[in-house]
Amino acid sequence: MTEALLEVQDLHTVFATKAGNVKAVDGVSFEINPGETLGIVGESGSGKSVTALSVMRLQRPGKIISGKVMFKGRDLTKVSEGEMREIRGQDIAMIFQDPMTSMNPVFRTGWQVAEPVRLHHGWDKTRAMGVAVSMLGKVGIPSPASRARDYPHQFSGGMRQRAMIAMGLTTTPKVLIADEPTTALDVTIQAQILDLLRHVNRDFGTATILITHNLGVVAGMCERVVVMYAGRVVESGPTSDVFAHPKHPYTWALLRSIPRLDAERHEALKPIEGLPPDLIDLPSGCAFHPRCQFKVERCSRDVPVLNRVGETQLAACWVTQSGVELKGA
Amino acid sequence: MSLLPAPEVEAPISTFEGEGSRPAQSYWNESWQRLRDNRIGMAAGILILILAAISLAAPLFTQFVTHYEPYRLDLLATFQPPGHAHLLGTDELGRDTLTRLIYGGRVTLGVAFLTVGISLTLGTSVGLVTGYYGGWIDDILMRLVDVVLSIPAIFLFILMSILFRPNPVTLAMIIASVGWGGVARLVRGEVLSVKQRDFIMATRSIGARDVRLIVRHLLPNVLPVLIVAASLGVGQIILIEAALDFLGLGIQPPTASWGNMLTNAESYFFHSTWLVYFPGITIFITVLASNLFGNAIRDAFDPRLKTH
Amino acid sequence: MLAKYLVRRLLASVIVVLGVTLLTLLLMDRTRGTYVPGIDLNPNLRPEDIARLRANLGLDRPFYMWYLTWIWNVAHGDFGRSMIDGSPVLSHILDRLPNTLELTGTAIILGVLLSIPLGVIGALRRGSKTDHALTVVSVAGFAVPQFWLGLLLILLFSVTLEQHGLPWLPSSGAASAINGGDILDRLEHLIMPATVLSFFYLSLWSRFTRSSMLEVLSQDYIRTARAKGMSERRVVYLHGLRNALIPLITLIGLELPGLVSGGLVVEVVFGWPGIGKLAFERALQYDYSTVMGITFFATLLVVAGNLLADVLYAILDPRIRYA
Repeated sequence: MTEALLEVQDLHTVFATKAGNVKAVDGVSFEINPGETLGIVGESGSGKSVTALSVMRLQRPGKIISGKVMFKGRDLTKVSEGEMREIRGQDIAMIFQDPMTSMNPVFRTGWQVAEPVRLHHGWDKTRAMGVAVSMLGKVGIPSPASRARDYPHQFSGGMRQRAMIAMGLTTTPKVLIADEPTTALDVTIQAQILDLLRHVNRDFGTATILITHNLGVVAGMCERVVVMYAGRVVESGPTSDVFAHPKHPYTWALLRSIPRLDAERHEALKPIEGLPPDLIDLPSGCAFHPRCQFKVERCSRDVPVLNRVGETQLAACWVTQSGVELKGA
Repeated sequence: MSLLPAPEVEAPISTFEGEGSRPAQSYWNESWQRLRDNRIGMAAGILILILAAISLAAPLFTQFVTHYEPYRLDLLATFQPPGHAHLLGTDELGRDTLTRLIYGGRVTLGVAFLTVGISLTLGTSVGLVTGYYGGWIDDILMRLVDVVLSIPAIFLFILMSILFRPNPVTLAMIIASVGWGGVARLVRGEVLSVKQRDFIMATRSIGARDVRLIVRHLLPNVLPVLIVAASLGVGQIILIEAALDFLGLGIQPPTASWGNMLTNAESYFFHSTWLVYFPGITIFITVLASNLFGNAIRDAFDPRLKTH
Repeated sequence: MLAKYLVRRLLASVIVVLGVTLLTLLLMDRTRGTYVPGIDLNPNLRPEDIARLRANLGLDRPFYMWYLTWIWNVAHGDFGRSMIDGSPVLSHILDRLPNTLELTGTAIILGVLLSIPLGVIGALRRGSKTDHALTVVSVAGFAVPQFWLGLLLILLFSVTLEQHGLPWLPSSGAASAINGGDILDRLEHLIMPATVLSFFYLSLWSRFTRSSMLEVLSQDYIRTARAKGMSERRVVYLHGLRNALIPLITLIGLELPGLVSGGLVVEVVFGWPGIGKLAFERALQYDYSTVMGITFFATLLVVAGNLLADVLYAILDPRIRYA
């Protein structure tokens, strides 16, 4: 995969706590190609957000202990802080879950949107503000010139998230990481923001990493999906294939726990039994095995590696790698 | 579209919402546990207890340890430096410094605790009543609080101390005449938030009388805030009291207090500096211990307020 | 919107001020019927003398008349007359005000200039030795009696240094009586009292800055700022401090009345000829009317300070909607 824009290889990020080291990211690998939309999906604590923050090297107080993040031929885990600052906000932009708290309350919105180009391109106030206003217009904020003079609290949640996206785009980054960009928003607004992200991806050619716990969002947005569980990637592949034929029992169980329009009537929703694992003291072998209804003896002994299963997918599961099909009871 | 399994929620810090009419037993247990784990806080608390015990047992202590009376003059033994005869020396009238510190502690600590007691009682009553009833009672009493808290305390203390010529009890009342205002605001705020919760309304609908409601339901809920306020207040009150005594506007000689032992400090500068050091150190350590214990109490009883 | 808010706050302040006059006069009322200053010093006064004195001081009128007269006078800039020397209280206050402002103003400015950087350092190096040392200093600052700290400084920098033939600092007054009054001389006098006073402010505000800064640095918008690729300095000092300063400035605003009242004990210890010392001296002489005039004057400043703090807060924090 030499043409990959950003490649994460065997990344490990830990958080030191009194109770022990939390392995928030435990050997994650994936890559994203230029202009692609990649979904990273998993429940809270699966390490998807920390993975994204580690790419930006904003994982503090967590520590990246091994692995690589290759971008433009450089390993971002190794470059100097100064070089990293150049990349942040310029080559890789990130927007966050809660637009209500992610903007600085004491600076005017336009000023904040203009800040990246002033920092990275050294533009003067007027020129930067011009870009900010036009970008605010492009993300669908009406009368952007006057809205730019408003403070964030004068914006609605949806408008603020638009402004956040505008803030990320002024420098025309190669990658936009959106960490749960719609979770804090109303359902109707969610759809608008996702629509905007789709447009951004198409019109600016920005590769987008969309981090979410919402499978529906992934289905509507992403070409490829990476499923994470307990700090590890358990499955990845083209979204349509993963959704149609999940190759990891966790993905399989997830898909059965949500309502689907194309599901057959008699199929009842099945929540995943058991609790998410303790990240300090992971189960031996496959971290999902205590909750897995397909587990075999080997699952509690050896940690499964991510391997090709089927035509297009990768899965970390001894069962499916041995050729077994996942079928529900 | 549905979400993944609900995110794990952090274990909630122990508040007592929804626990019925009063903080749950576990709240007190956990607070006590947190307090016990705070070594500095516990040491400070124990030090305060020891000081209080010494003050209470002052006559015994002076009889068996220092062997002097606090007011007995000995003009043949003025300005004795610390030594065998007088552990901490004597003052210009030959009075034993340690003995006077111990008796001064009685006054100073006594005034401090009395002040806290009066402030809490008055402030809590006003806070409960204003918060519970609202309306014109609330308007009038809270404006009164505004007024009291607007006057710079030190001037008010001075004004009152020349009007009332304080003894320990009146001095406590003078200092408390400002202290209650803050307590009232605090309690009122807490009552307003407790009132939001349903159980009060439920109790009301079965016909509980106001007094019962206030005493049995509201009071236990504001108790943690009161404990925190009281423990944080002691040190500040000791400082105020010491300053007034030092200025000659508080406890009057010959009654010893830590503050008035320093009133004539300038005259000790050239020969008897221990008379400058010891009372000040005593105040400093006592206030330090009070503050550290107060912080520990706050951290233990109100984790929401815990400082970083 | 701001104007409307101001008017409402102003009205509330007027009510508080009226309340203060009523309260203090009620307190003083206790002395009206019985007490005239100097009586216990002068047993030779005849009853008619006392009556005349009381009439002169307006103590024989009914309370409401007394009160209304007082309000009327205050509204015209007359804060009453001293019971001792009969001179207007306000002229005494204005005499002493510059000295007091010199002392407390220096202390507050020093406090602000030192506490903000120290608080920020404490927050940035949380848990480090520096942080612990700063914590110890500020905890000590809360517990040390100001007057005693003043005495210790005098003992060390005036008495002991002089005894050893070293250069020493003057222990009393705002300037030397003889050949004094130039800037250097005043500075020498200012050093110790200003140090004592600013130590307290330093303890208070550095703690506050530290926790406010820690709070702010954990906010989402700081992460956003970092994600934009700005330097850590810009993150901390522009995006962080700008937010952390909002509550701090309010706190400092609330301390502004300290410009008049905060230095009383220090003024007494260092013989600083300020308003606090004036109140203290007059209190010892039972000059109620002067003490009350000063108290009222200081209260006006408190109310004004609160108002100013509110307005500052409203201006600094765009989220406040003057409601």
